[in-house]
Amino acid sequence: MAHFLFFLLAIVCIGAVVAMIFSKNQAYNALFIILLFVCLAGLFGLLNAPFIAVIQIIVYAGGIMVLFLFVIMMIDLQEGIPPERKRWTIGLSFLIAGVLIIELLFALKGFLFPAQAATAGSPGSPTDLGRLLFTKYLYPFEITSVLIIVALVGAMILVKKKDSD
Amino acid sequence: MNSLNAMFPLLTLIVGALLVLILEVSIKRENKTYLAFISIIFLMICGFFCVQSWGKDFSYFNNHLYLDNFALFFSIVLIITTILVTLISMKYLSLQNTNVGEYYALLLLALSGMLIMVSSSDLIVIFLGLEVLSMSSYTLAGLKRDDQKSSEAALKYFLLGSFASAFLVYGLALLYGVSNSTSIAVIIDHFKTESSLSFMAFAGLGLVIVGFGFKIAVVPFHMWTPDVYQGAPTPITAFFSIGPKAVGFAVLVRLLYPFWHVAYDSEVIFSLLWIISALTMIIGNLIALRQTNIKRMLAYSSIAHAGYLMVAILSQDTSSLMFYFVVYLFMNIGAFAAVIALGKKDKEYLELDDYAGIGFKYPWIGATFAVFLFSLAGFPPTGGFLAKFYVFSAAVREGLVSLVIIGVLASLVSVYYYLRIIVYMYMREPTHEVDINLENPALFLVLFLCLYGVLQLGIFPGNILLIIKQAVSSIAFL
Repeated sequence: MAHFLFFLLAIVCIGAVVAMIFSKNQAYNALFIILLFVCLAGLFGLLNAPFIAVIQIIVYAGGIMVLFLFVIMMIDLQEGIPPERKRWTIGLSFLIAGVLIIELLFALKGFLFPAQAATAGSPGSPTDLGRLLFTKYLYPFEITSVLIIVALVGAMILVKKKDSD
Repeated sequence: MNSLNAMFPLLTLIVGALLVLILEVSIKRENKTYLAFISIIFLMICGFFCVQSWGKDFSYFNNHLYLDNFALFFSIVLIITTILVTLISMKYLSLQNTNVGEYYALLLLALSGMLIMVSSSDLIVIFLGLEVLSMSSYTLAGLKRDDQKSSEAALKYFLLGSFASAFLVYGLALLYGVSNSTSIAVIIDHFKTESSLSFMAFAGLGLVIVGFGFKIAVVPFHMWTPDVYQGAPTPITAFFSIGPKAVGFAVLVRLLYPFWHVAYDSEVIFSLLWIISALTMIIGNLIALRQTNIKRMLAYSSIAHAGYLMVAILSQDTSSLMFYFVVYLFMNIGAFAAVIALGKKDKEYLELDDYAGIGFKYPWIGATFAVFLFSLAGFPPTGGFLAKFYVFSAAVREGLVSLVIIGVLASLVSVYYYLRIIVYMYMREPTHEVDINLENPALFLVLFLCLYGVLQLGIFPGNILLIIKQAVSSIAFL
């Protein structure tokens, strides 16, 4: 069952990425990425990391992709990149793709010839994480609340209407 | 004493900020000065708590919160900065159409971010504090919403600030990968056990330094400074030129001082910082020569001062660094207060030409501004001279003679652009009418306090040196 699910999710993942690359409509692209993130979350779930799976959905599929959709809605991308810049962009993409392939080869090497067992701790169950947050990392955790207040107040000041107008 | 007491300074600031926010919403008043007074009261309470914990070395929350005298010293310096900035903002906000009450709340929150940073030696806490500081700084920079320059400043600061944070987090992740801890002490201890610094550790340390390089605005990470300083409301510029720099250097002290004692490989980092310091002093001062906008000129001057402070970091002399900061606080806020004084409703006089003849027309503003400029240039008997003298003599003791020569030459160059303002104020005929709003008692109080501070530190620095000595001796690198 687990194997079946893994292959199903993996195929959907790859399919979503390929569809995203070849789709011309930006809104569809964003939706395909959301599909990809949901499948990735499923894969994390299979790996016994439910917390990361949930975070994956909430943060990436929920937060970041909605932001992407907003940007797509507000900026007109229909005309595409002008041809004189296109060559430059393609060169850059080849460069980045090359770096990625090298990284993948390294990962493959590490997978085929494991040097040592990875010293992973617990794979992040919500209970462990919550316990750590409220004991060892209490102080940083509380500071994040201040951070959120600052971000909220700041955003509101910058976008609210002026009283005098 | 329990951990709640140790958090009192921080809690005071946050409660103060929330109170200001609530009052701003519930009491609709055109005049927001009462909010400034409320925040000053909270700042003073916060300062009282800091003074009360002096010499007690609290350490709480698994050493995430560590109130040694070093942290308290910087906290008090930053609290004084914020009080002075609040005072010079009171009239400015209504004159320059920036009349938002949240301003004072954001100042308090920015200060709380800085206190979090200086009173911890755990990189996660430092990072969170930095974000609290940065988030409020971005907003403060963009508060003049009718002004394009201000919005540009906010956006630039936001983009480059996020960039710097990314560097910092990446470096932090690498350091965590190497040593399995985010505490500076554990990381450094781990370095000591290894035979040589691994590439990952080196990259991590480098990225963390780059991240803070953006915050303290040293060359080559200074590009954002002039635009942000020019576009932000002037009191906020004064705040930026001191607050983020002070915390950046405080963290660098905590990070680098134990690191120098890791015998191997620290030379590479050392020589990198050497180059940064020399470049900062040279480029900051040279570009300042060409500026005609006072705020831009003071921005480059603050870059140059970061270079001198870097010399103090390299010569491992914390006390000269701390003394420099106290002096820099008074002279820089004083200079910005004088710049703010030259303004009226919806108009600030910021070009060099506006300063022609100011010295005779407004003798008090002219004279105090001249003293601050002399101090920034480093003339005796002002504090600026002693501060530079201590930094450079400590560097000579450590054998950094060539760096000191560069520094002295660079500060000779700086004399030109500081004195040029004085020449304009006293020896040029005014080309156009400059009339300013003089009903600003808080601003004149700040001018007087800063004048007193600069002269007191220049002539009788004994008391403050004694306090600094206590602070330095207490730094424990937990």
